[in-house]
Amino acid sequence: MSTQIETPRSPYTRRKTTRSNYELYGWIFMRASGVLLLVLIFGHLFVNLMTGHGVHSIDFAFVGGKWSTPFWQVWDLLMLWLAMFHGTNGVRTIINDYASKDGTRIVLKGLLYLAFAVIVVLGTLVIFTFNPCPPGSPADLLPSFCAA
Amino acid sequence: MTAVIEDKGAAAPSALGVVPSFTVTLKIRRFNPEVSDEPTWEEYQVEAHGTDRILDALHKIKWEQDGSLTFRRSCAHGVCGSDAMRINGRNRLACKTLLKDVNPDKPITVEPIKGLPVVKDLVVDMEPFFASYREIMPFLITSGNEPTRERLQSAADHAKFDDTTKCILCAACTSSCPVFWTDGQYFGPAAIVNAHRFIFDSRDEGGQQRLDILNDKEGVWRCRTTFNCTEACPRGIQVTKAIQEVKQAMIRRAF
Amino acid sequence: MQTHQYDVVIVGAGGAGMRAALEASTDARTAVISKLYPTRSHTGAAQGGMAAALANVEEDNWEWHTFDTVKGGDYLVDQDAAEILAKEAIDAVLDLEKMGLPFNRTPEGRIDQRRFGGHTRSHGEAAVRRACYAADRTGHMILQTLYQNCVKQNVEFYNEFYVLDLLTDHDLTTEELPDGAEVNATGVVAYDLASGEIHVFQAKAIIFATGGAGKIFKTTSNAHTLTGDGMALAYRRGLPLEDMEFFQFHPTGLAGLGILLSEAARGEGGILRNADGERFMERYAPTIKDLAPRDIVARSMANEVREGRGAGPNKDYVLLDLTHLEPAHIDAKLPDITEFARTYLGVEPYTEPVPVYPTAHYAMGGVPTNVQGEVLRDSHNVVRGLYAAGEVACVSVHGSNRLGTNSLLDINVFGKRSGRAAAAYAKTVDAHLPLPADPAAAVVAQLEDMRSRPDGERVADLRRTLQETMDANAQVFRTGDSLAEAMATIKDLQKRYRNVSVQDKGKLFNTDLLEAIELGFLIDIAEVTVLAALNRKESRGGHYREDFPKRDDVNYMKHTMAYRRPPAASDVADGHIEGYFDHVENLDGYKVVLGSKTVTQTRYEPMERKY
Repeated sequence: MSTQIETPRSPYTRRKTTRSNYELYGWIFMRASGVLLLVLIFGHLFVNLMTGHGVHSIDFAFVGGKWSTPFWQVWDLLMLWLAMFHGTNGVRTIINDYASKDGTRIVLKGLLYLAFAVIVVLGTLVIFTFNPCPPGSPADLLPSFCAA
Repeated sequence: MTAVIEDKGAAAPSALGVVPSFTVTLKIRRFNPEVSDEPTWEEYQVEAHGTDRILDALHKIKWEQDGSLTFRRSCAHGVCGSDAMRINGRNRLACKTLLKDVNPDKPITVEPIKGLPVVKDLVVDMEPFFASYREIMPFLITSGNEPTRERLQSAADHAKFDDTTKCILCAACTSSCPVFWTDGQYFGPAAIVNAHRFIFDSRDEGGQQRLDILNDKEGVWRCRTTFNCTEACPRGIQVTKAIQEVKQAMIRRAF
Repeated sequence: MQTHQYDVVIVGAGGAGMRAALEASTDARTAVISKLYPTRSHTGAAQGGMAAALANVEEDNWEWHTFDTVKGGDYLVDQDAAEILAKEAIDAVLDLEKMGLPFNRTPEGRIDQRRFGGHTRSHGEAAVRRACYAADRTGHMILQTLYQNCVKQNVEFYNEFYVLDLLTDHDLTTEELPDGAEVNATGVVAYDLASGEIHVFQAKAIIFATGGAGKIFKTTSNAHTLTGDGMALAYRRGLPLEDMEFFQFHPTGLAGLGILLSEAARGEGGILRNADGERFMERYAPTIKDLAPRDIVARSMANEVREGRGAGPNKDYVLLDLTHLEPAHIDAKLPDITEFARTYLGVEPYTEPVPVYPTAHYAMGGVPTNVQGEVLRDSHNVVRGLYAAGEVACVSVHGSNRLGTNSLLDINVFGKRSGRAAAAYAKTVDAHLPLPADPAAAVVAQLEDMRSRPDGERVADLRRTLQETMDANAQVFRTGDSLAEAMATIKDLQKRYRNVSVQDKGKLFNTDLLEAIELGFLIDIAEVTVLAALNRKESRGGHYREDFPKRDDVNYMKHTMAYRRPPAASDVADGHIEGYFDHVENLDGYKVVLGSKTVTQTRYEPMERKY
């Protein structure tokens, strides 16, 4: 790349100015979401691993129990969305930094955004449409309130 | 009298208690579009003294072995910024890098700085670099009538931008930046440093416009704080810090 | 070949060139041609400051400054010019401040000032704080500020273009013109380094701001690119060079390397010591000691070494002692030069004295001009449309020895004046004067000849010989014999120069070729320097003849004017004085005739120069 000789004194032109606060907000979002994610993720890990019988108590019932309360629904939803936005934006900047060809950049970013959309939509659906007491399941695998 | 001066030239290096003469190998990336489209590596052996710099070795090659070796140089003591090059993989000024400081036992690699089109051997086209420098409006912008005497400025206000006034536009920082390597549209550390020099000058009134210019997709937000620029700066400017200060100024302005 | 037309063409993008460009480009279509990128010029290496009697920190006035300049130049200064320099200094500094130059500040926020060699209060009573400064990178800040303002004004630059010929409508090397005859400069021929193409610039006015010629010496603070191009081009076109025997040796160059350590080091309290630790300047200049003018300090240092009191294992340098200064003070005021000592000599100036020895620094002489910057073709006739400013020019405000900080002043004051004068003159000219039929023929032939020569001698070998002989024979101390030896070597080099060859025969970025051309300039400049020094059988300022150690005002209170003339021309140059300025040197194919020019005296009668 560095040996590619342009015509001598070829004028350098900025392709287009892209001035907006988009990158500024992106930059702030990355830092703010990072801090928030630390709280959410470590909170999540603490509740799942440290309270009660720790990792051994995690089963369908445990998860079902959590997602039956709006508090944990919102917590996990936030965690999902922030993590996805944070991660996607991070990978986007990496693609911007390292993909030198326009074509490569567009393809990689397309794949990235597709993956982002699929995971966010699926995850959100699961959190809100989750049925903790699927009919016909053995009772010992279900949360205790299903018995009712 | 004459004897004194002649003695001086010959004896000065040893008089200063530095390394005596030694042989050093330079591995130089050569490129001449009139000869071949492909760059080649060539090795040269040079007899050098303890106080010799990379530039002295390059001169010895050019003057005694191969006159076609091409590189820029002028002041030869680190103030003009002509001879930034990649020495053992790091951007440095050839005139400020002593041979004895870069392990002369092994071949020393010398390449042109990266990210700018190579013209010939170690010479790159500096035009893109200067173009982005010119874009950030590197001059004092004021309004109103000029004062009769000087504009006043406190020593503390002067200190805010003193570091970035040291820039010699050698491009060592910009061409050490991995972002710039793949994206020539990035303004680059040098342009931001020179914007910083005016944004933080209490006499200047164009700070908002410069912040607008650098609040670009290709502006300060592309900085990944790898500190390559700070490490490369031959003038010891805290380049990354200056970029961060410009970012902070933008955030303060936005909120 | 491409041809360009401009109103004003400025050759050189250092301080003087860009200062002129800022003036000329507001009024006339201007181009600046430079063999470097603009911020690479050697103005950027100037460190200590720029003198102006602002009186920001203590009482001062421009009249004292004028006196110091005249006395510092050992009365060979044109006093009308020195007065302009000192008066306009104040506006020159304020202009720069308004352009944005970040000067160091006093507690009140005004431009700070410091002491510098030879600048005194009340005509020599004590050192005065007159130098306005930006740490020890004042020149760097001036160069950057001027370039920044050129960007602001959209000045057109032709970077890495080497001007290789000056076009005039009369060739003064072959023609002898009567007094008052009109000679016009019509353009320049330049070589584009990147493409190897020739460009002809047709201009109504041309300003030479090409800088000095320090590379005729081996030990020098000057850049590799300071090869006296402008001086040599004018000289080859038959224009005289003035006072070329006066070359300033800066006292404090890093020993063995020549890298400049600013006089500001002494201005801030640094002391020169010999091997015994003695502050020897007390003996040579009892009143202002280490802050005596540079010629005196340099000679004193060389004398200490000569008399066996030099420091170091070979007793070949003296020491600049900063160890009694607070490290914080050094960091604030002298950061760059202390770094030079660390980087290049491995000496820590906080705790150890720095080895220093005089280094070739500044050509007081150059292309003669009047105070408007107009170039003279003899003692009084100007070349119309040709201007010069900065180190290439000799106004003469520096006389036989320049005071520190007066060069940054010179480029600003006379850069501005010549820029204005050139633009004003260009406006009075209706149409460009015609160029010769094939204006670039000489340059093309010269380059082709150099490129196509069979393998001969190396440029570097000749250059080294030249620099070594100049260092050995024409440095701080000179004698008739040493200068004759230098002259013999130069004559030999001129012969050998016809056989030098270049290895790089290419078109693109051929620096090998340009170095060969530059060597030709250096040899020419060395020729004039040595001939003028041989002729001046007295000691004055930067020119010290051991065989004539006294100043001789009766016979030599005159500027030297050196002309290159055809062998058939008359031996009598303008200002010829029988027995003193009638030296004629015959060289191969031409001869050099020395004449003189009267020194303008206004207020100050020459006195003995004591500090």
